[in-house]
Amino acid sequence: MIEIQLTVNGKDYTVNIEEDKRLLDVLREDLGFTGVKEGCSEGECGACTVIMDGKTVNSCMVMGFQANGSNIVTIEGLEKDGQLHPIQQAFIDIGAVQCGYCTPGMILSAKALLDKNPNPTKEEIREGISGNLCRCTGYSKIVKAVEKARGYEDES
Amino acid sequence: MIVHRGKTIEEVIELLAKYKDSKIIAGGTDVILDIKDNKIFPEALIDISSIEELKGIELKGDFIEIGAGTTFTEIAEDEIFEKNLHGLKKACKLIGSPQIRNRGTVGGNIVNGSPAADSIPPLLCLESTLIFESLEGIRKVKLEDYLKSKYRIKEHELLTKIRFKNPEGLLNFIKLAIRKALAISRMSIATLIELDEEEKVKDIKVASGSLGRYPMRELEVEEFLLGTILGEYTVDEAVNILQNAMEKRLKGRPTLPYKKRAVKSLLKEALNQRIRSSRRVIS
Ligand code: FES
Ligand code: FES
Repeated sequence: MIEIQLTVNGKDYTVNIEEDKRLLDVLREDLGFTGVKEGCSEGECGACTVIMDGKTVNSCMVMGFQANGSNIVTIEGLEKDGQLHPIQQAFIDIGAVQCGYCTPGMILSAKALLDKNPNPTKEEIREGISGNLCRCTGYSKIVKAVEKARGYEDES
Repeated sequence: MIVHRGKTIEEVIELLAKYKDSKIIAGGTDVILDIKDNKIFPEALIDISSIEELKGIELKGDFIEIGAGTTFTEIAEDEIFEKNLHGLKKACKLIGSPQIRNRGTVGGNIVNGSPAADSIPPLLCLESTLIFESLEGIRKVKLEDYLKSKYRIKEHELLTKIRFKNPEGLLNFIKLAIRKALAISRMSIATLIELDEEEKVKDIKVASGSLGRYPMRELEVEEFLLGTILGEYTVDEAVNILQNAMEKRLKGRPTLPYKKRAVKSLLKEALNQRIRSSRRVIS
């Protein structure tokens, strides 16, 4: 076992983990952030996406010990004071959620994109979420939802 | 398994010397799968993903040095690769997904040696040199020689830098745009072409990905095109030469007819783009 420290959604944690544990398992099993989903386990589907030090990563492709000292945002960290994040709200308003399995990762990819580029084109949105697979929606509503959430930072 | 988070190059090469059976992990996109599938059981896993001295792109006189731990995202976003080196940026932008590019490193792409590692053909055109460090000191190996696998990385070495001369020519990269699920579709061509005042090819490098067991320079194509003026005839002939070279290399493989057809469009596109950009005034 080794001890790691990390910040998740603004809160500091110290956990003892098995050496071979992935960040995905640390977040889900040790810290209870079950909004992080496991899909393919091999870096293809993006269901396990989290934002690590400002960049999206597949948490199934990061070892727990590699995340020592890092700052992580999961879907649980997006709502503020009981208010959904504007991207979350847009997903609901547009109807971009079906089974919902891809949604946390999808929204985090959208957030990372909008944080960097508040007014992306449709093309840029498609590229931004290209690492997140959705088996239900056919993507067009997801792209619409992100378009709707564009520029949310200016409004808030 | 012992895990270690390296902070400096020095610390890592000491660990590599200490643990005979160790594995380096950076972006993790290859290594984690191997661990999960029980393909490797390292005694020690050494993380280099947060070593600052392994990151970054530096202009040193006529040369450019890329830290082995630089991610594809970092390369794709660096201004140095805006102009004549655009082909490297393009290759890095086409790798995996944003999540993979945020973690995956150019050093990992080279060391893990997949035939489809997209950053390699452009680096081959640039005649890159790899710099390895170990307790014994520094070892330099040409990327091309390294890939021919005679000079595989030694257990106790760490790839620290990739170095190449900033070229006069224009670097380009073209990849077959087909869904990832089709593994054989990961073919690519990189070209580095310099034209003289009369538009004749003054210098040319061509490299391919997934047209053989490892990415390689296509010397016969280079030889043929050197000194010619790029145009319909020369482009077609270059395609023929490349197809013949592949024929020898991939003889009997079921994918050969498909690959021959696909390579035609790749090389044509690469050369035609060069023709188009020479007509524009390059500032
Ligand atoms: S579970 Fe991590 S990318 Fe699919
Ligand atoms: S909503 Fe079901 S996978 Fe996307």
